[in-house]
Amino acid sequence: MKDDRVILLVEDNPDDEALTLRALKKHNIANGVVVVRDGAQALDYLFRTGAWAGRDPTERPAVVLLDLRLPKVDGLEVLRRLRSDDRTRVIPVVVLTSSKEESDLSQSYALHANSYIRKPVDFAQFAEAVRQLGLYWLVLNEPPPYS
Amino acid sequence: MRTQEGVVRILDTDTGWDEVTALEDTQRAVLNVLDDFGTEKARLESTQQAVLNILDDLNAEKSKLEEASALLKGEIEERRKAAAQLEAVNKELEAFSYSVSHDLRAPLRAIDGFSLALLEDYTGQLDAQGQDFLHRVRAGVQKMGQLIDDMLQLSRLTRGEIHIAPVNLSAVAREIIEEQRRNDPTRRVEFLCADGLGASGDGRLLRAALSNLLNNAWKFTGKQSETRIEFGTTATEDGPAFFIRDNGAGFDMAYAHKLFGAFQRLHRAEEFPGTGIGLAIVHRIIHRHGGRVWAEGAVGKGAVFYFTLPTSATIREETS
Ligand SMILES: Nc1ncnc2c1ncn2[C@@H]1O[C@H](COP(=O)(O)OP(=O)(O)OP(=O)(O)O)[C@@H](O)[C@H]1O
Ligand SMILES: [Mg+2]
Repeated sequence: MKDDRVILLVEDNPDDEALTLRALKKHNIANGVVVVRDGAQALDYLFRTGAWAGRDPTERPAVVLLDLRLPKVDGLEVLRRLRSDDRTRVIPVVVLTSSKEESDLSQSYALHANSYIRKPVDFAQFAEAVRQLGLYWLVLNEPPPYS
Repeated sequence: MRTQEGVVRILDTDTGWDEVTALEDTQRAVLNVLDDFGTEKARLESTQQAVLNILDDLNAEKSKLEEASALLKGEIEERRKAAAQLEAVNKELEAFSYSVSHDLRAPLRAIDGFSLALLEDYTGQLDAQGQDFLHRVRAGVQKMGQLIDDMLQLSRLTRGEIHIAPVNLSAVAREIIEEQRRNDPTRRVEFLCADGLGASGDGRLLRAALSNLLNNAWKFTGKQSETRIEFGTTATEDGPAFFIRDNGAGFDMAYAHKLFGAFQRLHRAEEFPGTGIGLAIVHRIIHRHGGRVWAEGAVGKGAVFYFTLPTSATIREETS
């Protein structure tokens, strides 16, 4: 059973965006991908404000791919706001980062990021994160292993 | 009044000499008492003076103390300011290296990612040479990424606090060599390690220094049929020093002064891989501990790296 829930990609770097979309497409991810380019837009999308005020409230992202370094509102702040609101508390968040900085990792986990993958988003890592989150059947268009 | 009247009456009446004498005695006694009072008073006055002097002295002492404490307060304030400035500089460096690690990597990611996309999505349109070029592009990117990581590691070493504690250098050296043996099980390496070498210093940093020196010894003996690496102490002109000796490729002493600079190498990457950051790290670590590091070598005759730590000590080991 295929879900039509979207993947929300929060990414300001157009190269990283193109590479991430390519990785997803290459592996036949059937879900739609909504791309927003800064933290403020991400919050608007998630809380249906601003440009996203008219968004269909039943459309909830299956997973948020969140870059940490974003203009306006940074990724950690987006995560903090997500986790402190009942409407968005349970949405799985995968943090994308370009660095090996330990502080990023520990702060993300402190804010209950579900998973953490290093850019460029390599499909194997993405698949592993999705598997950890139990979203396997939802997001990955692969046949089940035992059938 | 009545006493005077009494005295007059006594004089009026035909008093005897006895009484006069008694009177004179009394008078003398009174005068004596008065005299005594005088000396007592003088003594009191000098005591008072002495007390006043002491108070004066105390006042002088007190103002001296106040001066000293004002000075101290000023000094403390200055130190506090310096510490705050240092912290600000450290924060800035932290922010700088954070931004280096993120921002310098972003364009690399694009180069690497799109090269890979070309290789994967357009294989049919690229001949072998075209593909080789793209592989070289990607290798260059990997190398650049490694350089960024190395630079960051080096800059981190100069920041951050040092936590001083006793470190058992012999034990650390043995662990490092054991790890090398696990990673590279085909090599036959004889490791001679003196027992009980120790120093007080930052355990994490001293381990990093030893690991760079021992990994170099391991690497630059890679073409030897029999490898021998030694860790010990020896007397030098600078007093006792630790040394790590190997019987590997060695180096030309003419370039010895370059060894400890960042990204300086005396061997080509095809001969021995590496980026040239290891000894720069060793140099910073030993210097942060107040020690010195230097090297001796000859081409084909192996190398010896010496370092001193001002707090070296012998550690008694329970087992050897
Ligand atoms: N034990 C040794 N024997 C011979 N030459 C050495 C030895 N150790 C270091 N050198 C020389 O000094 C250079 C710098 O050493 P350093 O450890 O900084 O860099 P590296 O080992 O080449 O690379 P890295 O440590 O970054 O992987 C080496 O490239 C080599 O030419
Ligand atoms: Mg080295």
